[in-house]
Amino acid sequence: MYINQRAALILLAVPLLFLVAFFAVPFGVVLLDSFRNESGFSLDQYVKLVDGWFYAETLWFTFKISAWVTLVSFIIGYPLAYVMTRVIQRRWLRRLMYVIVITPLFTSNIVRSFGWMILLGRRGLINEGLLFVGVIDRPLMLLNNEFAIVVGMAYIMTPFMVLTIAAVLQNIDSSLEHAARDLGANPLTTFCKITFPLSLPGVVAGALIVFTLSVSAYVTPSILSGGKKTVMSMLIYQQYAALFDFHFGAALAVALLMTTLVLISFSMLLAPKHAHGTPSSRS
Amino acid sequence: MMASNFLGRFILYAFCLLAVIFLVLPLIVIIGVSLTATEYLAFPPKGLTLRWYMAFLQDRSYLSSIGLSALLAVGATASALVLGLPVALVLSRTRSRINSVIAGLFLSPLVLPTIVVGAALLQFAAQMGFARTWVALYVGHTILVIPYVVRTGLASLSGLQLVLEEAAQDLGATRIETFFLVTLPIIKPGVIAGALFGLIISWVNVELSIFNSTAALMPLPVKLFNYVQYSIDPMIAAVSASTIYVAVLIVFLIDRLVGIDRFNSG
Repeated sequence: MYINQRAALILLAVPLLFLVAFFAVPFGVVLLDSFRNESGFSLDQYVKLVDGWFYAETLWFTFKISAWVTLVSFIIGYPLAYVMTRVIQRRWLRRLMYVIVITPLFTSNIVRSFGWMILLGRRGLINEGLLFVGVIDRPLMLLNNEFAIVVGMAYIMTPFMVLTIAAVLQNIDSSLEHAARDLGANPLTTFCKITFPLSLPGVVAGALIVFTLSVSAYVTPSILSGGKKTVMSMLIYQQYAALFDFHFGAALAVALLMTTLVLISFSMLLAPKHAHGTPSSRS
Repeated sequence: MMASNFLGRFILYAFCLLAVIFLVLPLIVIIGVSLTATEYLAFPPKGLTLRWYMAFLQDRSYLSSIGLSALLAVGATASALVLGLPVALVLSRTRSRINSVIAGLFLSPLVLPTIVVGAALLQFAAQMGFARTWVALYVGHTILVIPYVVRTGLASLSGLQLVLEEAAQDLGATRIETFFLVTLPIIKPGVIAGALFGLIISWVNVELSIFNSTAALMPLPVKLFNYVQYSIDPMIAAVSASTIYVAVLIVFLIDRLVGIDRFNSG
């Protein structure tokens, strides 16, 4: 059914108005506010942002964490995506795997981080297990540090990585793999020379999605850092909720937003059509 | 050759088993802890009891938080459907140069930092005089859900056989009749699945809600978040475990509707 221009305008009017009023305009307010101080227009907030090492260090720490999270969720996610789409033949088993991947995604970040608090605690399952096996003789400090944040966030992000890579892997024509096998390649060679290169768009898309989401993650770092480490989004929340400095909060928000926009532009340039979660994924 | 094949397979399966354990363990631990008979968190649980579930079901503040979260999720999803489906319809049926801009705008809440969306909404609402009210929460959650509706709407509509619509119109149906009697019933499973995805995104949200919450107006995830940072006990595990049951339920609903493995290819 073809929609003419008038009908299109009628259909779009209310949704557009809603999104502009409650989404675009608020961003505009933040942007304007970041260029002000109590008396009027000023660049104070941005001067404060680049001045002093604290904010630069926080930004660096946020990026470092995000890079680790991306790497770990790729290492865990790729084999899973591969087995789900290219190895498992029975549909019920494949569905079960999807259920296992998607259920954590549908559980809040707090609950999932809470799970890791219990697992990583001094008397948690991991420490108890290691003590029992005898690898260590006193509990390791696994909580309230960088390690805890990376593990907890990798856990949150793995489903995104798996789903994005699986979406690409499942569309790879298996006759290409068969041809390689017929020509004498062993499974490993087939994977390295055929399957993996063809799945790279999914890997790139997954990595960018995970990195982008990690940079702006708030809940997991807050819970698993125990307040001992700070990431960008925690700084933003502090400014708004604890210090009531809306101007500086706005500048931090703009900085995070710009970072994200740059990352998204990359993913729009590199991501395949069928990848999930990016604005470029239209179909 | 055969031996190395076998070894490769074995390593792959072993690794996947570890990955699956990694994915389910934190959830199992919470469910386990919520059943413990001890006053402290114990896993594996020591003794089995449902008293922590009873405790939170008798706690009015939790019930009101759950009520608010459910209302927000359902309300936001309903308005996201009303706002998002027309957008998906226009985007799939017109070829305009600004289509990609419109799609980008409506899908952007997926990837922009939710914490910034929340901060922006607070700042805007403060100037407009509705900061920390249910209106601010409701509007924010609607924005969060819209992209899920638009995305699955687009996916469902692009797979649709246009001849069916043409047939209906040849038989005398108006455009509006065609949409409600032919198009909508066909895309329904996909749209419901997308709506369920959006529903759960609203249900679990902290980053956006936290800016516009008050002690009396606190969605469940925000309440849990505030609580978990200061103290943890088996009752919190029971509340958390209950949200896991909701997640499992929604996953199975989506599976029944569209097949969870097909959901990802859209």
